[in-house]
Amino acid sequence: MRLRELLPGPGGLLLFFGAWEVGVRSGALQYEYLPAPSVIARAFAGMAAGADLWDEVGHTLVATLLGWLIACGAGTAIGVLLGLSAKARRYTLASIEMLRPLPGIAFAPLALLLFGFSLQMELLVIVAPVLWPALINSMGGVAAVSERLTEVARTLRMKPLATVTTILLPAAAPSILVGARLSLTLALIMAVAAEMIGNPVGLGYAVVREQQSMHPDRMFAYVLVMGALGIALDAGLRGVARLLLPGEFSRPAPQWGRS
Amino acid sequence: MPEVVFEARDLGLTLPAADGPREILAHVDFTLAAGEILTIVGASGTGKTSLLRILAGLAAPSRGALTYRGKPVDGPQDGVAIVFQDYGNALLQWRSVARNVALGIERQFKGEALRSRVTEALQLVGLERNANDYPWQLSGGMQQRVQIARAIAMRPAVLLMDEPFGALDAMTKATQQDELLRLREATGASVIFITHDIEEAIYLGDRVALLSGSPGAITHRFEVGLPFPREQVTTREMPRFVDLRHELHEAIRATGGH
Repeated sequence: MRLRELLPGPGGLLLFFGAWEVGVRSGALQYEYLPAPSVIARAFAGMAAGADLWDEVGHTLVATLLGWLIACGAGTAIGVLLGLSAKARRYTLASIEMLRPLPGIAFAPLALLLFGFSLQMELLVIVAPVLWPALINSMGGVAAVSERLTEVARTLRMKPLATVTTILLPAAAPSILVGARLSLTLALIMAVAAEMIGNPVGLGYAVVREQQSMHPDRMFAYVLVMGALGIALDAGLRGVARLLLPGEFSRPAPQWGRS
Repeated sequence: MPEVVFEARDLGLTLPAADGPREILAHVDFTLAAGEILTIVGASGTGKTSLLRILAGLAAPSRGALTYRGKPVDGPQDGVAIVFQDYGNALLQWRSVARNVALGIERQFKGEALRSRVTEALQLVGLERNANDYPWQLSGGMQQRVQIARAIAMRPAVLLMDEPFGALDAMTKATQQDELLRLREATGASVIFITHDIEEAIYLGDRVALLSGSPGAITHRFEVGLPFPREQVTTREMPRFVDLRHELHEAIRATGGH
């Protein structure tokens, strides 16, 4: 039963890699720099045996998590405060809507000028765009809590602070988590991008390096490692959320993004 | 003469609307004595929910005076608990039944004292075996009982109920009505029960007030005078019950209700 539930997901992936393998070997896919999955796997095995790959994973992981913690923490805090006050929203929403569409990667040249080739440079490129999903979702989540619940709090004679901590924040938790998940994914993307065009370390730089030294098999292996890292980060966050919100996760549906 | 708990004198409510101020309530007068059930019956659009929000201290009246135990109501009052119609919104879906019931008392009571008050409230509504369930695992009637238990746990002097059984099916509704009457016996709380269901208003009430017209006003008052304990079949067949139902329908027709 469990195996049958688990199979369809990886099954699609296996099919994809199988078709790729057959395509390359049969000559249907003829590109000079498109290696077969088996060749990529062999390259990965070689990389995994050395220390460089793990150093690079470690660097990108640290940059992603650090940037995410800063951005998601600040974004959620600001978002919750804005969610609590319709007046504060009226005064800030126009500015937020103006700043939000700025592509985060556009900060890279500025970050380079400010911080040079450093972790700070990466963090600036990560934090600037990653702030928004956390802010917007937590703000929307708190603002959308049913007015009935605040009336319940008032009639039960709860103090404002208790209302926020025992009613509004838990009620908004699913939206806050959506923001946290979106921003974590974005943080990884921005870390890799910052490493590709700025700070020459980590997985992002490794991909560029392998490309320039004509090692497409190693380059693909790095790309797949990034994918795996993204999946692992998301799963980790879901695991933490499951511990923090037992009631939310035992509900049948909907779970994420309940309004 | 029993103590007067709530007294409303000539309450009125005017709210701003797109086409200028709109009068929602006019001339609402009533008193609620300790231990009594006053049912307020009215068609939709007569301002029932607005009236309950004013009684609960969630909204201020535009005119008139409302007192609770002789003092003007300027916000939610100690000793007054509210049961809303939409239990789905009013319960904390992420908390177990027991923790929902604890919500109003968990700051004053801890540990064993809290547990025993929660258990007592759950026993009064017959949900002691569902303490660890989540609201979404329960039927509508059971969820509404969770909300009633949460109110009871506060040991209120007055229960304000806004069409609490309006969303329930007929059979569940009948059971809940009998449970409410039992609960009143057990706790001695006064109840203001707002409904659009004429028979429910008679069945539950010591007195019935008719809210009618637009803006809504209390136009008729009836002493029910039916014996307790009431019984779903026989009470509803008593001549007094049938007469009252007739009079209420007549009164609603005369005031231009639906």
